[in-house]
Amino acid sequence: MNQKRLSTGIRGFNEVLHGGFIPGRAYLVRGGPGSGKTTLGLHFLSVGVANDEPSMYITFGEPAEQIKNNGAAIGLNTEAMHFLDLSPSAEFFSQMETYDIFSPAEVEREPTTQKLIESLDAIKPQRVFLDAITQFRYMSTDAFQFRKQVLSFMRFLLEAGTTVIFTSEASQSAPDEDLQVMSDGVIHLHNSSIGRTLEVTKFRGSDFRSGFHAVRLTDKGMQIFPRLQPENYKREYSNQTVASGVPELDQLLHGGLERGTVTILSGPTGVGKTTIGLQFMKEAAGRGERSVVYSFEETEETLVARSESVNIPVHAMIKFGTLSIVPVEPFHLSADEFASLVREEVEERLARIVMIDSVAGYRMVMRGDNLVTNLHALCKYLQNMGVTVIIVNEMEYITGEFRATEVGISYIADNIIFLRYLEIQGEMRKAIGVLKKRLSDFEKTLREIELTRYGIKVGRPLSKLRKILSGTPEWTDDYDGEK
Amino acid sequence: MRAKPLILTVDSNRRNLELLNQFLNKEGYETIGVSSLEELARQLSELPEIKLVMLDIAGFDRTIWERCEQLQNQQIAFLVISPKQSATIQVQSLASGARSMLVKPLGMRQLLALIKSLLGD
Repeated sequence: MNQKRLSTGIRGFNEVLHGGFIPGRAYLVRGGPGSGKTTLGLHFLSVGVANDEPSMYITFGEPAEQIKNNGAAIGLNTEAMHFLDLSPSAEFFSQMETYDIFSPAEVEREPTTQKLIESLDAIKPQRVFLDAITQFRYMSTDAFQFRKQVLSFMRFLLEAGTTVIFTSEASQSAPDEDLQVMSDGVIHLHNSSIGRTLEVTKFRGSDFRSGFHAVRLTDKGMQIFPRLQPENYKREYSNQTVASGVPELDQLLHGGLERGTVTILSGPTGVGKTTIGLQFMKEAAGRGERSVVYSFEETEETLVARSESVNIPVHAMIKFGTLSIVPVEPFHLSADEFASLVREEVEERLARIVMIDSVAGYRMVMRGDNLVTNLHALCKYLQNMGVTVIIVNEMEYITGEFRATEVGISYIADNIIFLRYLEIQGEMRKAIGVLKKRLSDFEKTLREIELTRYGIKVGRPLSKLRKILSGTPEWTDDYDGEK
Repeated sequence: MRAKPLILTVDSNRRNLELLNQFLNKEGYETIGVSSLEELARQLSELPEIKLVMLDIAGFDRTIWERCEQLQNQQIAFLVISPKQSATIQVQSLASGARSMLVKPLGMRQLLALIKSLLGD
């Protein structure tokens, strides 16, 4: 990739295009009304302005004044852009006398072309955004003429070394396949009930990231969150284990959790899954490592209060920057947006342990997107980056038939730790056990676990109990009183 | 005798008239535009060197055909421009002496070719 690239002005979009646009080419941006075509163009031009490249906006529809204001509202320097406003003015309507002697295509074409050539010659822009090229269709009497006009106009611009983005308003009645063929790259913007997405289907002379990428339009403009492709990321890391600091728990795990592995903490509500995850983070904080909790269900306050009550100093950890609690609102982010949040933590703030609390919450965020695929990609990425991943999986059943996890995510996990409620002699107790551990052996017995204000207490193996997994265990025949 | 051939254009729509004259002027013809039949009659009597009349019949009533016959009598070539493709108008135009009937919108290049052949240049 030794070609020079032109920044698109949107970081995620540059990533999708493997660096940016190739200079001196023409790109087509297509999408329905409100899909963000104009915003994308304004970002592209504002980078040009910042680099002192003459940048020009040619509009056939929206008045220049309105575009300038909208651009300024999202913090872009539209004043320094050159605008060529070919949109009809208000006078056009009041003073216009209709005619039918010639077709409008023949009457309007010449003055429009003249204006275009004049201002292009005067400004000699390096970046041009043209909204919308489909206007040429109305200035040509047939499809052949349209094609010839667009091609010759493109050539006129490209010969001057200009990089052009043009938009098209495609609809069922006016398809734009011809334009897609003529351009060097095709970018689709979609706006559906699931959210906004961007897709590149053609990019001459370079590879690009395929698939749908999440788009967000905010008061700071357009953000693009490239689909996570875990194989693109790799980081060297040592194969250490991360201990919990609770000796019995570490015994159970034969040392702890390895870096670059995914652990599912599975169990019914209130059994202490989050607390156990935080325990690993507490120990990591002692070594000065940073951890992040993505809390989909709890607010930061309750999580902090809860942890403090079992002697996990979350306050102090947050203060020293070794822990972040990030509450995630359901229905607010898409999978790609969430992934980019996580990437930022891992790549820029060097988080070494990431906890997703919980799968059910994550699923809410996905809004019908494929849960397993997205979670898998995210975990794979984190593994490649040497991050220890803890996924909290809440089981709906308090007792009864034993299951490892729900929703078919067990295969993602390198380790599965489960927590259970036990009824022993009419008393609710809790037990912890390990079901699977890929990189080391583990203890096959269960241990009792208790959350006290001094911290997590894990007891000795419950070797005298039978049928623990059923939830109503019985003492073995040789049992002679506890301890 | 004028250097440029003179074409008289008739159209009830001013914008049409303006565009037609603009086009013809650019192509090297002199034009006089009128938008009523009375004016047409006056110009015909005052300017005998008119080489061609282009008559957009839209917006005029049936008396237009009488004018056509008058043009024929004066041996001035004329073209009828019709707002729609219609056999009746075509037959009536030709019967009244029109060289041809054209349907709007006119193609600029075809129109120019036709005028050139009619004026013999």
